[in-house]
Amino acid sequence: MNNTEAKFILQGYRPNGADAGDATFVAALEQARRDPGLQDWFNREQAFDATMCAKLAEVTAPTGLREAILAGGRVTVSERHRRWWQHQALMAAAACIAVAFVAGLALFSHPAEAADDFSTLALRDTLYNKAHGGHGVEAGALQAFLMGPKMRIGESLPIDYAALRRSGCRTLNLDGREVLEVCFKRDGTWFHCYIAQRADFPEILANPSPAVSEVKGAGIAAWSDGSHLYAVVTKSGESAFGKLL
Amino acid sequence: MSSDIFNQLVDAHYTPLYRFALSLTKNSSDAGDLTQQTFFIWAKQGHALRETAKAKSWLFTTLYREFLRGRRRAERVTALEDLGPAEADPPAPAVDVLAGMDANLVVEALQEVDEVYRGPLTLFYLQDFSYKEIAEAIEVPIGTVMSRLSRGKAQLRSALARKEDGGRNKVVSFQTHTARKLP
Repeated sequence: MNNTEAKFILQGYRPNGADAGDATFVAALEQARRDPGLQDWFNREQAFDATMCAKLAEVTAPTGLREAILAGGRVTVSERHRRWWQHQALMAAAACIAVAFVAGLALFSHPAEAADDFSTLALRDTLYNKAHGGHGVEAGALQAFLMGPKMRIGESLPIDYAALRRSGCRTLNLDGREVLEVCFKRDGTWFHCYIAQRADFPEILANPSPAVSEVKGAGIAAWSDGSHLYAVVTKSGESAFGKLL
Repeated sequence: MSSDIFNQLVDAHYTPLYRFALSLTKNSSDAGDLTQQTFFIWAKQGHALRETAKAKSWLFTTLYREFLRGRRRAERVTALEDLGPAEADPPAPAVDVLAGMDANLVVEALQEVDEVYRGPLTLFYLQDFSYKEIAEAIEVPIGTVMSRLSRGKAQLRSALARKEDGGRNKVVSFQTHTARKLP
């Protein structure tokens, strides 16, 4: 490691010492200890950063912002709860929902992790919905890509979301949020690829590495990139994903 | 989600979130709106987050996404990534001079840093995030965070030098402890 590389690393070292236990900085810190010139630069850098932190800490939120957030939050939460207990129509459907919920628990219970809404929709659609397949020119092009050897789970897909929607790709609706679906076949096994815009599911954390699991015999691989969430589901179990690695 | 948890989240994070929003939006009113919007999204959807320990990261990520969505500046971000290497240690005010500068002026200099560098740089100066956590929050690789910090600091030093040279008469649009004490 030369001094330029050491500086590149050390400029990310927080002046409050919170990174003291981070192994990434060990070699660069050691180099600074051995090189007085580098140590001098690091000391100045830390002093500059500490001063900037102090200046930023002087900024206060506007008066009333906290109260506005709390009041707005209460309204939002109560509105969300109101759907369940104040509307008679939903009360009438509550029994059906409860039955579906119990059935869903039985279906989707998994020892490792609970599925998020997006993954649950993908699994449920694959297992119970017989109307599958993308439609339209854009979906056809995507299907051709998915069937080809370049498609690998865990990688970004060539998605033009708006064009897919416009051209009539099969679209599912999850509480007003759209999820596109395209089927494809690889080595005799059918897979179903579900795509959503990340902005529509901000509650789902970034997951660039594919999470693979099996629920009631259906394999699911879910991951995301900067723009989209992806879930590929197959009734052939998680071992089938060996074809997509 | 209980209101107690929501209150705790607000108390723990609304000020740093506001500071982050202020650096992004350059405007106190927009920063307040963006901070509120972030918590309202939490109130609607945050209950689905399985690990409450990740609430801080979730809030900052959501705020950043909402800002980017509002600005629709993805193309510009990409273009800026293609710039050449950062200037090596450009001239900046000495630390004691910086320490004596008005906080408003310093934050104003921070707001002059290009948007793509300003987000990670502000998170770094909030000191709540390691560079790895910054990478998670703004959803870029760790190496990219390091690179953006380096370029961002270079731009910040230049902006501070300009401010120190005489740009003290610009209108500022945020509040500090000092400003709030004024009648």
